Amino acid sequence: MISKQTPQELAASLLAAALLLPGVQAHADEPPRNGSISLRYLDYADRQPGLDRIHAHSPSVSVTAPVAGDWSVEGTLTADDVSGASPRYHTAISGASHMEDERKAGDFAVTRYFRRGTLTAGAAYSTEHDYVSRALSLNGTLSSEDNNTTWAFGLAGSRDSINPVNNVVVDEHKRTVSVLAGVTRVLTPNDIAQLTLTRTNGSGYYNDPYKLFDNRPRSRRENTVLLRWNHYVDATGGTTRLGYRYYSDSFRIRAHTLSGEYVQPLANGWTIAPELRLYTQSAAWFYYDPVYDATLGAPFPPGFSNGADPNRLSSPDQRLSGFGAVTVGLKVAREIGKLWTVDVKVEEYEQRGSWRLFHDGSPGLAPLRARVLQVGLTRRW
Amino acid sequence: MKVRIFFPLIASALLAQAGCTTVQPWEKGKLAKPEMTFGGDRLETRYADHIYTSREAAAGGAGVGGGGCGCN
Repeated sequence: MISKQTPQELAASLLAAALLLPGVQAHADEPPRNGSISLRYLDYADRQPGLDRIHAHSPSVSVTAPVAGDWSVEGTLTADDVSGASPRYHTAISGASHMEDERKAGDFAVTRYFRRGTLTAGAAYSTEHDYVSRALSLNGTLSSEDNNTTWAFGLAGSRDSINPVNNVVVDEHKRTVSVLAGVTRVLTPNDIAQLTLTRTNGSGYYNDPYKLFDNRPRSRRENTVLLRWNHYVDATGGTTRLGYRYYSDSFRIRAHTLSGEYVQPLANGWTIAPELRLYTQSAAWFYYDPVYDATLGAPFPPGFSNGADPNRLSSPDQRLSGFGAVTVGLKVAREIGKLWTVDVKVEEYEQRGSWRLFHDGSPGLAPLRARVLQVGLTRRW
Repeated sequence: MKVRIFFPLIASALLAQAGCTTVQPWEKGKLAKPEMTFGGDRLETRYADHIYTSREAAAGGAGVGGGGCGCN
């Protein structure tokens, strides 16, 4: 017997059938269907002309699992083994000192799924021989009835304890409070975009205790605007992933980051993804260039021998200088059956003072190059 | 001051766009592909955040809640 349906009933039936198809609810708030465990290994090495600097090995593991229908849990563990030469001021090789450090970090998060939203509570802990960090967070999402728009909000706090081995300070602290607001929007069947704003207020010890003449403000306010756009290319079946981030803080650092990635699935489960990242930042207002006191020379800041306040705010940290950076990378992944994925990623990173855009300052610093190698393995169940 | 102007301008532009189109559920097959999501591989993202945080002044943007480290 054939039943006749009105156009409205037919549309409703089609919609219901469509919603049952896997993946059709592109960004619905539903728990993961499968659990997964990922292992990943990082090998990082950076260098400056004539000097191999930091070398880091970092294995990590991540587990995600659905629980009791409306919940999921996820956690990660990471260990960093870092060694090498760390300049005490600017990039002078004569000022480099050997350092070794081991960092262990873990985090855990629980997510509750609702019909149109999620709520995630998380905790993170990280420990080094001279630095301990603890963080708590609460993040949530809320989706529109048609699942084309998702709003996100977040609140997080951290408390760090700092006890450098040279005892320049003892039991110092740094505290931060961060808030997040964002929106993700389906634009077309091939396009989705996301805007995220964050604000972090921090107070406490921001100095690098192992650098000479490093005396920074005891508070820092940071703002970011992140705009991301993913586009599916019908002609190739690939996806372009573009991002732009604007960063500003109370150190008067302004930074622009432009990133692009193209993910191309190939036959037999292979995927190839080249990436390019461009970055530029201005110098902190208290950063001093590698031009030293006329009488005392390096590493003393200009004016030091003329009675300038030795406790004035200053830093020779290259990371607070003005520079530009480029990252070029390539990731190759292969799905093996439905349960396994293995990938290898190689990146080359370089930063130079002469590559800075939009801002002046910070000439004469040695370029920094880094090579990053990652190997990953994921098993789903 | 520039940031205070910049933030709402971008937010307004995207939200204005958000009200213009409606994509139906059965049109979202491509959007459901893993590479079309913003999350990505969690461990890979952690590594990238950690490396850039320890080598550059700017940090974060995509989320809140990670702990700090002595690397910066």
